[in-house]
Order: sequence, then structure tokens, then C-alpha cells
Amino acid sequence: MNDAQRQAAVEYLLSLGDDELVLAHRDSEWTGHAPILEEDIAFANIALDEMGHAVIWYRLHADLAGKDPETYPDHLVFQRTAEGFRNAPIVELPNGDWAFSMLRQFLFDAAEQVWLEGLGRSAHAPIAAAARKIMTEERYHLRHTRAWTLRLGLGTEESHARMQRALDALWPFACDLWTARPGEHELVTAGICPDGGSIWRTWEAEVVSQLEKADLARPKAVQPTGFDRTHHTPHLTESLAEMQSVARLEPEGVW
Amino acid sequence: MNDTQLPRFEVFVQERRNGPHLNAGSVHAADAELALLNARDVFARRPECHGLWIVPADRVTARTAEQLAVEMPSSEPGESGRAETYRVFGKIGHKGTHEHLGRVEAASAGQAIRKAFDTFGSLSVTSWWVVPESACLESAEDEADAWFKPAQDKPFRDQAFYPVETFMRSLRRARESKEPRR
Repeated sequence: MNDAQRQAAVEYLLSLGDDELVLAHRDSEWTGHAPILEEDIAFANIALDEMGHAVIWYRLHADLAGKDPETYPDHLVFQRTAEGFRNAPIVELPNGDWAFSMLRQFLFDAAEQVWLEGLGRSAHAPIAAAARKIMTEERYHLRHTRAWTLRLGLGTEESHARMQRALDALWPFACDLWTARPGEHELVTAGICPDGGSIWRTWEAEVVSQLEKADLARPKAVQPTGFDRTHHTPHLTESLAEMQSVARLEPEGVW
Repeated sequence: MNDTQLPRFEVFVQERRNGPHLNAGSVHAADAELALLNARDVFARRPECHGLWIVPADRVTARTAEQLAVEMPSSEPGESGRAETYRVFGKIGHKGTHEHLGRVEAASAGQAIRKAFDTFGSLSVTSWWVVPESACLESAEDEADAWFKPAQDKPFRDQAFYPVETFMRSLRRARESKEPRR
């Protein structure tokens, strides 16, 4: 990698880690509140997996940024303000109801599956290895969230209505997952990451076919959300305040 | 009052490659596929696991050894006459859990119990379960990597691993010594 590519990869990896972290934190808010005990455990597991994936990306980010991969991830998580985060806004939105959280997780898992396949072939070997490792767990997530999407969509009148409402709200944000990440253009040319602009159709086809099976209609017109990876909703600040509250009490604390 | 409890499924875990499937407990779920997914999260996220089976609890026909000593079902096929495969589970001795012993072909649950007893009766089974194989659902071979492999390189950590409590106490002590008591 030359210097420009390294800098681009640093930015890109941060956005991958931030997506996983912010979603993991939202998912973890369901712990103790999911509709049934078994699903409480399952969703907490998904949250933990995403948290683990965030650490993997943060370590690679630290490595390329010349920071200590052991300690820098904690700094990234606990010491940054919302302006420094590069996650897509879909993952910072409040949980809403079970339909909203499950559908968001499904839309995200399906997207992650597609970009991990591309990253698994990255010209930068550590990125390729990380993507392949993460993909193993993501295959299970997708099976889980796909199954729930289908059942809630085809369930009762109420579950269907809640899912359709969630889809209407989430769809524009889900499409924004595919807006080029920081550093992406530079890295695509070097074969280090896939071109989101061309692989997003694979995601769209998978997702739309699942939504149709669940009797859910994709919104026809997509209004811009007005937010992106550098312009966050106020929800991110609230979420970080909660996540960082203990760490900020004692920044030098060791757990 | 309406019963809002979801149906119960018994979960069987294969702890060793090619080892028997052992009853690990049960999960509640809306249907068999969700039960299988939940079984993975509840019983196989950390411990070693090579395969999972779930069976709907209401399709399990159970007999204790004592019941069979009083009334042994007939080996006749019964009314339906159409044979199907049953999975046989038995608890050997009084400790432990039900484990998979094998399969029998039978035309009714009663006949399946009888055939199970005739086939595996030498194993000192204290409790028998038979389930039609068509009601069982199992994890797929080609998904074993995604379901069970991530667990293998993740450590269990005991609560004591995290020094949170000692740390919080030392913080409080430091703070109290700084703030004079009123």
C-alpha cells in the first residue's frame, strides 16, 4: 500500500468498525427486554458478535494508523464524540419496536454479507482474513434475522403492519449504507475493497426477494434522509452519552 | 386467561463428533426452525457442539420402566398400519439425561415404544422417549461452520476475570478520602 491508500484504508476501516459498534450497542439495549427469553439470549449474542467484529476492524485501523491495536480500540469507543464517528446513520436510530430492530438487523446483515464477500478477496491480506472470519458468524445472523422477518411479515395483522411501518422508515437509511464510504474510491482502484456502487444490486435483489416473501412492500420513492456518515442524527449523541457514561467518569480506569 | 406460552421443543446436543445426541434442555419457540435457531444460541454458543436436534415436546411419547413393567404396549402395528421411522431416546440409570439410542420403524407411538424396548432393553433404560423422525429438525451439515465453529476460539470468562468490583471500590475509597465528611 502507498501512503494515500494507507490513509484511505484507515478511514474506511474506521467506518466498518463504527457500523458494528453503534449497532451492537443498540442491539444490546434489548437485553432483558426482548419478547421471549430465548430471543433475548439470541439477540444479546448477535450484539456481542457485532461488538467483536468492531474490535477486529478497530485493531486493523489502529495498526495502519500507527496506534497500539491493544489500547486504541478503547480510545475509539470511549473517548470520541459523535462528530468523529463514521457509521451509517441507520445503526444509530433508536430501537423502536421489535419489528424495527429485527428488520434493521436483517437489512444490515444482508448488506454486510455482500461487502464481506468482496472484502474477503481484498488485496490487503489482513483485511481479507478478517472479512472471512467475520463472515462465518454473519451467515448465522442472516439466517436468524431472515427467519424472523418472514414470520413477522406473515404473522398477524399487527406484526405485518409494524413491519411495513418499520420498512417505510428504514428503507432510505438502508439505501444510504451503500453511499461510498470514506476512502472507498481510492481503495477500489487498488483492489483493497469492493465497489459499493456495483455490488449493492446484489444486496437489493436478496433483500427485495426476502421482503416479497414476507409480504412487505419496498417504498417506491426514496427521499434523501439528510444524514450521512459525517452528519449524524441527534440519536448518536444520546447513544454515546449512555455508552460512554462510565468511562468518562474515570478515563484512566482499567477493567 | 389465554395461554400465551409458545410451544416447547426438546433440544439434543451432539457434544463430540459422532457422539450421541444428548438432551440439553428445552426452548420455547413459535415453530421448529426458530426453535432450532434458539437452541443454537441457548445451548451451543460456547460449549463444544457438532450438531443439534430439536423435537416438539408434544410429539414425544414417554414411558418409564415402571410403567412398562405394568403395561407393555403391543407389538402389533395398531390401526393406522402405516410405518414410519421413530427416534428412540433413553435415560440410562437414574442420573444423566435422555440420549439418542437409535431408530425403529413403527406404525404407532405405542408400537415404537415396544420396539424400542425390544431393541435397546438391555441398556437398563429408566425412561423412554420416542418421536416420529418427521417431526424432528436438525442443524445442517453445511451450516456447522457458521453455527458451531466461532465458539471454538472464544474463551469462557468467569465473572472474577473482570476486576470491576475491586476497581469501583478503590474509586469510592479515593473519592471519600478527598471529600471531607460533613
